[in-house]
Amino acid sequence: MTGLAALCAGGPLISLNSPALAQGQDSAVIGWPSDVPSWDPNQRFSPDSQPLFKLVFDQPLDQDPALHLIPKLITKWDMAPDGLSLSVELRDDVSFHNGDRMTADDFRYTFFERIKAGHAVDTKSSFGKVSDIEVQSPTKAVMKFSSPAPTAPTWLGFLGSYIVPKKYMESVGVEKFREKPVGTGPYQLVEYQLNSRIVLERNEKYWGPKPAVRRVIFEILKDPSARVAAIQSGQIDLTINVPVRDIARLQREQSLAAEINPITRVVLLQVRNDEGFSDRNVRLAAHHAIDKAALSKAFYAGSAVPLSIPVSPGSAGYLDSYKFAYDPELSKKLLAQSGFSTAKPARIKFASTNGHFPSDYDMARAIQQMWKKVGIEAELETIEYAKYFELNRAGKLPEATLYSWDNASGDPEIYCGYLLNPKLPMSAWKDPAIGGEITRLMAATDNKARIEGWKALAKDAVEQGATIPLLQSVQTLVRKKKLAYLKYGNGWVLANSMRWS
Amino acid sequence: MLTTIVPLIGRRLIASIFILLVVSVLLFLVLHVLPVDPAAMSMPPTATIAEIEAHRREMGMDQPLWDQYAIWLVKLLQGDLGTSIHFKRSVWGLIADALPATIELAFLSMLIATVFGIGGGLLLFASRGSYAEPAIDLVTIVLLSIPEFLWALFFILIFGVALNVLPFTGRLDADLRLPEGSNFLLLNALFSGQFAIFWNALKHMVLPCFALGIAFSPAIMRVLRSSLIDVYQDDYIHLARLRGVTETRILLGHALKNAILPTLSLMGVQFGFLFGGTLLVEVIFSYPGLGSVMVDAVRNADLPIIQAVGLAYCVVVLVINTVVDTLYLVLNPKLRAQ
Repeated sequence: MTGLAALCAGGPLISLNSPALAQGQDSAVIGWPSDVPSWDPNQRFSPDSQPLFKLVFDQPLDQDPALHLIPKLITKWDMAPDGLSLSVELRDDVSFHNGDRMTADDFRYTFFERIKAGHAVDTKSSFGKVSDIEVQSPTKAVMKFSSPAPTAPTWLGFLGSYIVPKKYMESVGVEKFREKPVGTGPYQLVEYQLNSRIVLERNEKYWGPKPAVRRVIFEILKDPSARVAAIQSGQIDLTINVPVRDIARLQREQSLAAEINPITRVVLLQVRNDEGFSDRNVRLAAHHAIDKAALSKAFYAGSAVPLSIPVSPGSAGYLDSYKFAYDPELSKKLLAQSGFSTAKPARIKFASTNGHFPSDYDMARAIQQMWKKVGIEAELETIEYAKYFELNRAGKLPEATLYSWDNASGDPEIYCGYLLNPKLPMSAWKDPAIGGEITRLMAATDNKARIEGWKALAKDAVEQGATIPLLQSVQTLVRKKKLAYLKYGNGWVLANSMRWS
Repeated sequence: MLTTIVPLIGRRLIASIFILLVVSVLLFLVLHVLPVDPAAMSMPPTATIAEIEAHRREMGMDQPLWDQYAIWLVKLLQGDLGTSIHFKRSVWGLIADALPATIELAFLSMLIATVFGIGGGLLLFASRGSYAEPAIDLVTIVLLSIPEFLWALFFILIFGVALNVLPFTGRLDADLRLPEGSNFLLLNALFSGQFAIFWNALKHMVLPCFALGIAFSPAIMRVLRSSLIDVYQDDYIHLARLRGVTETRILLGHALKNAILPTLSLMGVQFGFLFGGTLLVEVIFSYPGLGSVMVDAVRNADLPIIQAVGLAYCVVVLVINTVVDTLYLVLNPKLRAQ
């Protein structure tokens, strides 16, 4: 349906349109690009589903719009100096939607018992180190780890970490829970149709601030152009991830506000440390040859911030003072040192997804041309995002792959610690030296030293050519001007922060 | 008549089992040679390579391919289509939820294609030899050359965005709640007396159904016109004229009955294509049917769903073809005699 946006672009026919209100002031209709994988919030690490889960469930810890970790169901937490235990205090005034009181038993069930019971939950990966959770009282518990887990608090406010009700889930079973989920969140699920719509109604007994909008309807509109058409026709009140090229046009609509917001997602090239990229000079030449500002201007209307390290600006591990230069002449010199030139180019393979994130393939083609100018001949191929892990596991990824990485927490470990960890399937870089440093930093308990360590590692990795960070990604959002919302640095768009004016 | 029809259905069933087996082997082989790793896909992104390997063994993916196929087939025969990698839900449940929406969409679209096809065919035939014939012929050629997704885009642009008179997303307006019961929304709403829901659901189906129906009607028009021209060469038409029967009665009462047989045969084939066409149209209209499930499955490399939905499409097409063949036999005494 790529043609629809073009068809919708301007023209006398479109000027006939006068968007009607999708709903009254008491409700909001949101065009959302994807459905939840299921209503078991611990089951799948799905970044796009977090703003939906956060309405029905609560996390032990939360993040404020500037991404600082803040209390939520946990009011106080204390990590032991050795990183082997975490004491937590829970709120005593929280009830699940079915009226059951939320206690430390539910906390233990969510982060320990479900994993030990072999439930199909992704939290077994983030909380696999939990050796036990000692319940001291209904509001006090101690999480114990088999090895230091300094980032456990971060994970308590991150992907998949939502407290589920032990009693209810054990009585109805996981399958039934997925059909009729019960959480402690500001909204209750009242209607769900797979791949179509999610209807939430305000939890009138919510322990925290009551949402201003009583009823929220998420229409699942997977096609970006369909979302554009729906917001333009007034069938929805807010939507995200519309094509960047449509933003300027939508900004001219009187009733709409269209935004491009930088978020904590980074776009980078995942590189190998062998084959055509075994030579550091070639890797660094490839990096110096890329004009990131031009990429941002061409594909993200200049809103995406060029990156020198694979960490988003404003987050804890960002190095503001460090800049990796765009310098095609230096690229040529580095290539010449290794015997390459435009006449005798270094030859590599280069992969990109097409449609996984905005303008991915077009960006790859632009990079291919930038490389050609300095003496790197890249053979570009398209891969499905789903094939990335398999190709990497089989050692079949090309020398460079265009990739995007989401890190709503903003923690530096979840950037370099995952992107460059040779033990993990997303890292194409298989150098044990960096791997050893990553393992050391993952166990570091002194937070300040840990952050500094990640900064140093990120800089070192870039200077070795182990990674080629490109841009901080952006989120596009279009809404009716009268519908306000709270902007989060990680791109969360939370309906409980929305308000009609 | 039954003595002719029952053996036909029996033969059809045997052939269908064979076809389904071949399709299942093809689907299984094609999907398993793709460089997609269901084990990795079903694990969190933070899983280590060792964890993925262990999960692969748990899923039986370390077994030889034919063993994997045999296990899958035995489970399939037991009614177990497996579990979705992405949704962690029974594939059977996912298909059962989505299929009714697609069936309603396909049948309503076919109804539109039939009405337009037969109406247009009669118009084409009636206009033969007149000044209007080249113009009407040109219109059918233009209609024939526009695919269903382009109709969908035009309709959204004109009726959804510009005129803003018809909805183009989902099955119901946001302020209406889905009724309890089966996912055959139209039937469900109609039989439970919820006419507001019925009317609203119908409004949501207008654009996708017309996009599909109009795209498939020109072929019916043209075949019907050709059949009518053939039928009009037969002696009984001349005899009817000699008996003073009116031209309208000859056309609708005598010729159409005979000319409709090849058209019916074509409609059987068309329905298969139309059912396949729902995939794209469902995506464009964010319509929650089997097509949406399939597109999601392809995006997520969710092999159990792709295999099952592929088979489901095949089953529907086989059933429709059997029904059309049976109808053909019922309507054509010559075939029964043979």
